[in-house]
Amino acid sequence: MTTQAIFDIIAGHARDVLPELVGQPLCGQDSLRELGANSIDRAEILMLTTASLGLRIPLVELSQPRNMGELADLLAAKGARVA
Amino acid sequence: MPDAVVTGLGVVSAIGQGKQEFARSLFDGRSAFGTLRRPGRQLPAAQHGNGHANGHGHEPGNDHEPGNGAPHDNTAVFLGAEIADLRLPVSLPRKGLRTASLSSRAALAALHEAWHEARLDDVRPERIGLIVGGSNFQQRELLRAQEEQTQQPWYIRPGYGHAFMDTDLCGLCTEMFNIRGFAYTLGAASASGQVAILQAVEAVRSEQADVCIAIGALTDLSYWELQALTSMGAMGSACRPFDAEREGFVYGEACGAVVIERADRIQRPGVERYARCLGGAMIMDGNRHPNPSLIGECSAISHALRRAGLLPQQIDYVNPHGSGSRIGDETELQALRTCDLQHAWINTTKSITGHGLAAAGAVEVVATLLQMRAGRLHPSRNLDRPMEPCWCFVRDTAQSCDVQHALTISIGFGGVNSALCWQRL
Repeated sequence: MTTQAIFDIIAGHARDVLPELVGQPLCGQDSLRELGANSIDRAEILMLTTASLGLRIPLVELSQPRNMGELADLLAAKGARVA
Repeated sequence: MPDAVVTGLGVVSAIGQGKQEFARSLFDGRSAFGTLRRPGRQLPAAQHGNGHANGHGHEPGNDHEPGNGAPHDNTAVFLGAEIADLRLPVSLPRKGLRTASLSSRAALAALHEAWHEARLDDVRPERIGLIVGGSNFQQRELLRAQEEQTQQPWYIRPGYGHAFMDTDLCGLCTEMFNIRGFAYTLGAASASGQVAILQAVEAVRSEQADVCIAIGALTDLSYWELQALTSMGAMGSACRPFDAEREGFVYGEACGAVVIERADRIQRPGVERYARCLGGAMIMDGNRHPNPSLIGECSAISHALRRAGLLPQQIDYVNPHGSGSRIGDETELQALRTCDLQHAWINTTKSITGHGLAAAGAVEVVATLLQMRAGRLHPSRNLDRPMEPCWCFVRDTAQSCDVQHALTISIGFGGVNSALCWQRL
């Protein structure tokens, strides 16, 4: 499982939560906050992502990444596996 | 004391969305009862059953054969009226709608209609208030969210943390319509919608706001509430208020919005006034239970008339609570008789819409004001054998009626009695 696959899952859930992102290209340097996600939106995206990955991680442990790429790296480091 | 008048109405119901559709169905006596089909509305064991939990195996509304309203076996199904296709204005932001409950979406649709009719974009947001009648009105949505994560509760949506509160509806409405005065929910059981209107009237009269919108929230029942209401004997298989064969109420999804404002502050071109609220009252029985009180109902009606400065003889039309409850309808007619209102025309909105619970009082005020404006009274369904033939019931067809003054009555479990007096403008 690559971090790109994890990133794609994050991006998919970001579009679920923020419908205005549908059709908009996203990259690793994009910040959820700067894309318009408020704190609840970010928590929802993180929860949907960890559920998709089958990870059980306190969301507070995912608060440090500055962008979606760093978040994908952190999730990979925490053992995210995507078939 | 300043006059409080109605300048906007909005409605969403199983018989139609928007005033035109709603009124057309009312005057045609066209209902939408059937087996409840929304996810979370039927007992898990009854998803494929054939019997009816609130009345065995016959379609509600059209029947002439009473059900027994008793709880049944675990293959029974619940009956009622559901909104087939809730349409939301495209102008509302999609993001907020993603996690909006059915109750919230219905409120947004009703509010949108009332808001634009009253042209509230031209009112200072700080002078607009919102009161949402209803409590615990998102039960089915909460049940579904919980059941989706039963095996893994740690994945519950974080947004559930604020959306489970009824006040989420206030947050959504004030965000989407930029309301910057006060907003809160109030609970008065099945009288919630009407009590919200009463409080909105008080708010504009006391200058807390120039405009106050009252919403009767869509009560989104899950199978737990439906089963409990069936078990307590409150629900029937067909809604037949004031009929000798009445057996209880039938649930109906609905939401109503009513814009109340101070008459002397309305200067917006094109805004029309439906009616003036002359007075109203909410009186408690001092009784936790569902049973009605003749004294309480009489007290609410007589206080409302006195505050309105009206004599009973001046009331042309009564929109009653009329749920189809055996004891409730009997008590209500006794109260109307005691208050010298036997001359007034009566029809039964719930026989067509179903019982919207928290929404009912607001939806019935919408129905009342639309009838006053139209000069017509809608028919009452299933009133085949009136329990007391001496009353001026509107039976199976709509009829013309010049209504100058109307009385609306809403009663709720827990000893709640409310009444409002209206004057057509």
